[in-house]
Amino acid sequence: MQGNDHSIVRAVLAGDKEAYGTLVRAHSAAVFRVAFRIAGNEADAEEIVQEAFLRAYQRLEKFEQRSTFGTWVYRIAVNCALNRVGQPGIEADYRHGEESDPETKTVQVATQDADPERVLLGREVSAAQEMAMQRLTATEKCAFVLRHLEERSMGEIAEVLGVAPNAAKQAVFRAVQKLRRELAPLRGNA
Amino acid sequence: MKHLSEEEQLDIYYEEGSEAAKAHLKGCRECYAEYAKFKRSLDAIKPEDVPQRGPEYGDYVWQALRPQLIPYEKKTVGWRGWSWWKTATAATACLALMTAAFIGGRYWEQRKTNQPEVAGNVQPQQRVVVVVLTDHLDRTERLLVQLNHADPGDRAENVQLQSEARELLASNRLYRVSASKEGDPALAGALDRLERVLVEIANDQHLTAADLDRVRKDMNTSGILFEVRVLLARKPNQESGPTSAKGVSI
Repeated sequence: MQGNDHSIVRAVLAGDKEAYGTLVRAHSAAVFRVAFRIAGNEADAEEIVQEAFLRAYQRLEKFEQRSTFGTWVYRIAVNCALNRVGQPGIEADYRHGEESDPETKTVQVATQDADPERVLLGREVSAAQEMAMQRLTATEKCAFVLRHLEERSMGEIAEVLGVAPNAAKQAVFRAVQKLRRELAPLRGNA
Repeated sequence: MKHLSEEEQLDIYYEEGSEAAKAHLKGCRECYAEYAKFKRSLDAIKPEDVPQRGPEYGDYVWQALRPQLIPYEKKTVGWRGWSWWKTATAATACLALMTAAFIGGRYWEQRKTNQPEVAGNVQPQQRVVVVVLTDHLDRTERLLVQLNHADPGDRAENVQLQSEARELLASNRLYRVSASKEGDPALAGALDRLERVLVEIANDQHLTAADLDRVRKDMNTSGILFEVRVLLARKPNQESGPTSAKGVSI
């Protein structure tokens, strides 16, 4: 696949624009997954996917044949997502009606119908987790998603974020501390 | 005894903990209990369900992206694409070209420096004497104008014309011969016709008004005057040519 990707990149650089479609089809799903995990909603994730592939195309001449195209476009997508999450106003778009009480830090979930208690508890946990994630800085959120959900190594995270490995590790650590603190009341309730 | 910090617990959780930290965790009940709580809290953070994207999703992304892409122009082969022998050949060619240019330049400069000495030493008697024609043609023009507008009854004017014609006749012969040798038929022809007019005027001992009138008509002095003016006009453009009207060698 790697060799094939490289030959496709060479074809694109030689003027075969259509060949880029093969790369887009092959890597769209993986790029969407990480974009969704960082952005937190489908609309932003889809825009991130578009932006990542567009940027990759524009910088294709700089693509180093050492890495795979998939890894390269993945990193670009994380950067696009990082920029998007860092923008003010984006986070407000994907609150679904939940509100948190700053005094007690307990989460109140709006229910639509009388579901069993288990389903309700699952929703509550999910909503609390989502809100806790929103309170992280863009870098912390990115670092945590890449480490905890995408299972990337600290070296990879540092490279994607453009920071030293120790700084990446600290970002993950700060995110974990904040999340544990935010989710502690929920654990107590559960 | 120093217990595990939260950071060390995190390292162990992500399987990056040191051997010493792992050993401590096994032997310390307090740290073990603390780590168990830590692990439970992190385990609870599960990945959110990512909406499924079918196989057609790639096509959808590509169709949206396609119109925004400008095709790359076919790459020309740069220095990096050259093989070592191509580079070596190009370098050798450049070196040879520079050497040839250097030697050629030296040779040309040397030849240029020696050239006047050779001409001066070998054939000093054949030194080219350049005589400027401008003055002669100007004087001839004035003479022809005077001839065309001369008053036949004015004896003094006729004498002056005759005197001027005699002076011009000698130099005109030299210019005509030189022009013929230089291969300038236009100038030689004009000077030849002019010479005949000058001979008629200069050699007539008893120049009368009737003689002047005959010369004007028979020899078409107006036509010759026109030729002289043309020659005067063309001079600046032919200064350097072999058929230069400005100067001829004698």
